[in-house]
Amino acid sequence: MDFEYTSEQEQFREELQAWLEENLPDGWTEGDRDVPDDQDEREQFLRDWQARLYEGNWAGLHWPSEYGGRDASLLKQTVYREETAKYHTPQQINAIGINFVGPTLMELGTDEQKERYLPNMLNGEEVWCQGYSEPGAGSDIASLTTRAERDGDEFRINGQKIWTSYAHYADWCFLVTRTDDSGLKHEGITTILVDMDQEGVSTSPIHQASDEEGFNQMYFDDAVAPAENVVGEVDEGWDVVMTLSSFEHGTTRIFSIEQRYKDILEYCKNNTRNGQPLVQDPVVRQELADLDSRIQAAKVSHLRNVSKQMETGMPGPEGSMDLVVADELANDLENFAVNILGPEAALWEDGPEDGQWVRDYLQTYGSWIAAGTGDIQRNIIGERVLGMPKDDKSQTSHREES
Amino acid sequence: MRAKLTDEQERIQETAEDFLESNGGIEFARREMEGEDVVDEVWSEISDLDYPAVTVPIDHGGLGEGMVYLSALLEATGRYAMPGPLPETAAVGAPLIAELGDEEQKDEYLPAVADGDCRLSLAAYNDRNESLPAAVGADGEVADDGSVTISGTKTLVPYADAVGEVLVATRTREAGGYDGVTLCLVDPESEGVSVEALDSLDRTRPLYDLELDLTVPPERVLGPAHGGGSALERAADRFTVASCAMLVGAADRAVDMSAEYTTERTQYGQPIGKFQAVKHRTADMWIDMQSARSLTYYAAWALDADDPDATRAVSAAKSYAADRLHRVFGDDMWNHGGTGFTWDHDAHIYLKQAKAWRNFLGTPEEHRDRLIEARLSE
Repeated sequence: MDFEYTSEQEQFREELQAWLEENLPDGWTEGDRDVPDDQDEREQFLRDWQARLYEGNWAGLHWPSEYGGRDASLLKQTVYREETAKYHTPQQINAIGINFVGPTLMELGTDEQKERYLPNMLNGEEVWCQGYSEPGAGSDIASLTTRAERDGDEFRINGQKIWTSYAHYADWCFLVTRTDDSGLKHEGITTILVDMDQEGVSTSPIHQASDEEGFNQMYFDDAVAPAENVVGEVDEGWDVVMTLSSFEHGTTRIFSIEQRYKDILEYCKNNTRNGQPLVQDPVVRQELADLDSRIQAAKVSHLRNVSKQMETGMPGPEGSMDLVVADELANDLENFAVNILGPEAALWEDGPEDGQWVRDYLQTYGSWIAAGTGDIQRNIIGERVLGMPKDDKSQTSHREES
Repeated sequence: MRAKLTDEQERIQETAEDFLESNGGIEFARREMEGEDVVDEVWSEISDLDYPAVTVPIDHGGLGEGMVYLSALLEATGRYAMPGPLPETAAVGAPLIAELGDEEQKDEYLPAVADGDCRLSLAAYNDRNESLPAAVGADGEVADDGSVTISGTKTLVPYADAVGEVLVATRTREAGGYDGVTLCLVDPESEGVSVEALDSLDRTRPLYDLELDLTVPPERVLGPAHGGGSALERAADRFTVASCAMLVGAADRAVDMSAEYTTERTQYGQPIGKFQAVKHRTADMWIDMQSARSLTYYAAWALDADDPDATRAVSAAKSYAADRLHRVFGDDMWNHGGTGFTWDHDAHIYLKQAKAWRNFLGTPEEHRDRLIEARLSE
């Protein structure tokens, strides 16, 4: 058991810190962290940041060097997550491409696909989204009905996707389609790379409870994609979906949750209720401490998973725990943050940080659903970690049964 | 960074589980619970396996290991609620003697502990409703020759009639907190000591009153007069982590029992583990157990490394484990239906252990307060 980083890893941290100090937008490190509200300006801002990360060789930390990455170990990736959380760095606009689609192509893509798509992911020249959920296929993703039909050298695509993050910025979509509905629902699925810049593809933003428009509906109306854009085999796309979701399980937001907790702790030191600092209030102290210990637990659990993964190579179903715990922590933490504001909790844009506290609090209700609801994660833990019987309807693949 | 037990630590866990399983698993605990005294039998077996020697320094015949190693071991013994003062001896007593003892004391006690010939316990409470350090009564007086006269009743002393020496904490100088506390080694069978059993909630780990009316000679006083408090506080932290480890092991078994039972038990024509209400409750038990395990490992490491984060780490482990693992054992009862509430099902053994330990050496509420204090002084 050792929770100290090596001097090489600490050196990596210092290198990153120095780069961030130098390259974050002016005023950012002093707390002036404005991201433009206007959609177009915001997109430009995020694309510029993505390109800057790429120039500094920070964008593809976990990518192999042959694809322009840095071959960084899981622990260096952890250091990167810790530091970018501390500096509240802007999001990577191409997070979907870099974290999920890229690694999936490296594993299952053809040489031509790798050569064509990987180079433009890290620099943000081509931004990616993932076309998964549909109005009738949420948690039960395998019941999707968006059709892709073979038409000569092409596939012709018709259907609707929903809850797609980054679709309004995206140049490409990693789309999950149905090519055959004669068999079991996990059969006849095909994943295909679709150019978003064509007449048959349109998006419309979804107005969220947080008054933001972070995700979209996507409509495919006779959209086309060449047959060479199929990832893996036609009708065997469920395996590709599973590969991609294993990369999702390797990520965590626990370090930004920890940073947020520290910011809230500072607030409690510097603000009073009934004339005394919030940190002297016995109830506030108990709640802070409970959050503190849960964050510590989640962090160490993540590090234990990482240490295990360094030996086994792949993230296991234990990653579901990271998701469940982080989502619930984020929700409890942001709720607590708004509660301690006192009567000011009634304000939105006129509340702290121009409404950011309230937006963050509302946002946590969406995170619980994203990337598999807490209920689905608990099914995964029950079935795949503890070996409990599968629900007939939740069987994720008929192949696992054989 | 390597957040993982070493191969050797994993091996000692396997050995300990094999040893207990070849002796009927929970049977030692059940026999102790039914009033049989199994500590001698257990101790003779685990002495052959060198468990009491784990934290004794190498030059006194021990293995010289720290809290991570001990926690790994206690996780395995805790899985079957193994009776005996192993945490008291290995987490509290032996390290205290190694830290505070003079050469004669170390030579006298530590090799005996390592060989399994001397078990240790701790007496710190004069008041059953008060918390440490306030519960350490002012029942001692230091004489000019360095001897300590103690006249008072210590309570909630684990295994007092099954140990060679009890480390007795007495307040010899009126001062706040842990200041003014003197530690003495007292043989419970010596003149001026009487031991009375208490009926404890957790009958696998019995508690006693210790009536003291004696003068402890200077050679049995441990460390400086009036100056044993800070070492006692650290010892309490080690005991806390050791107890967390035992309960994590117990919780691991509770999760296993729940997963197994709900897979086999059929109602409404299907295994009850298919129902999400049951599946999700069990998944949550597993999450809470893993979280407590993470906090325990981290706290054990922080104590071994003398990390500035140790106080916060220990208090996080205690406050989390005390509340969440107690619920894990309760949920295991529920998952087993009526069977879960019977004497024959093991959940109540763990539930009572968790409840009996909840407020010992600091309530979760006090630990949360201590955690925040440590945060604020960063």
